[in-house]
Amino acid sequence: MAVRQDEAVEREVRIAARPETVFEFLVDPEKQILWMGRRAELDARPGGIYRVEINDQSTARGEFVEVDPPSRVLMTFGWEGQEAAEGAHGIPPGSSRVEMTLEPDGDGTLVRLRHYGLPEQAREMHGQGWELYLGRLAVAATGGDAGPEPNLSAG
Amino acid sequence: MRALAEPNRRRILELVAGAERSAGEIAAEFDVTRPAVSQHLGVLREAGLVEERREGTRRLYRARPEGFVPLRAFLERFWDDGLERLRLAAELEEGRRRSGSSSG
Repeated sequence: MAVRQDEAVEREVRIAARPETVFEFLVDPEKQILWMGRRAELDARPGGIYRVEINDQSTARGEFVEVDPPSRVLMTFGWEGQEAAEGAHGIPPGSSRVEMTLEPDGDGTLVRLRHYGLPEQAREMHGQGWELYLGRLAVAATGGDAGPEPNLSAG
Repeated sequence: MRALAEPNRRRILELVAGAERSAGEIAAEFDVTRPAVSQHLGVLREAGLVEERREGTRRLYRARPEGFVPLRAFLERFWDDGLERLRLAAELEEGRRRSGSSSG
């Protein structure tokens, strides 16, 4: 029962800031961690590294493919540690693509994000969600506060 | 000790994802003690990832599908959360710049 592979995850948001301002948050490591991740290594040119450490369990990793200031960034994307894709539920680094386009909208910017090319197996249940839940388990098991959501960046 | 660095727990989940299994069957798959397996199962149950059923003296376990997030739903939430933070951060920066450059 295969799911269509070309089905992308698409999201968008309108931001009351110019594309030039928004764009910096996609390519500057210091600005990157103001919205996602606690550490970032970004070399925003084709072939340059994209690495964002989200938390102890999850580090996003890929490469910039196209960098077109201030309107578009395309990068490969996956999770470190899922290279082998054991259990075949992971998203190995470089296995999918994330495209972000910034379009002027009045005095703001319409940001569109498209995450596509996900591995077929990764469309099934577990994948990263599983990993993150286990990450929560790790915290809960040691008596810490797992936080309200199964993941995201430590603001 | 972190559970993610605890591959046995992950393997237990994979084991009971497809079929219901007894604690004994699960333990037989691993090179760890039965009490250790029971402890893993306990943690997984508490987290709502695994459910237990009794059949006579046997305890049977299986993964609760509703305990997991489908990847797609996870990514939607992951990016929604990210984009919302991006919005807040960029708008803050924009406000700073506008107030900085408008004085003159």
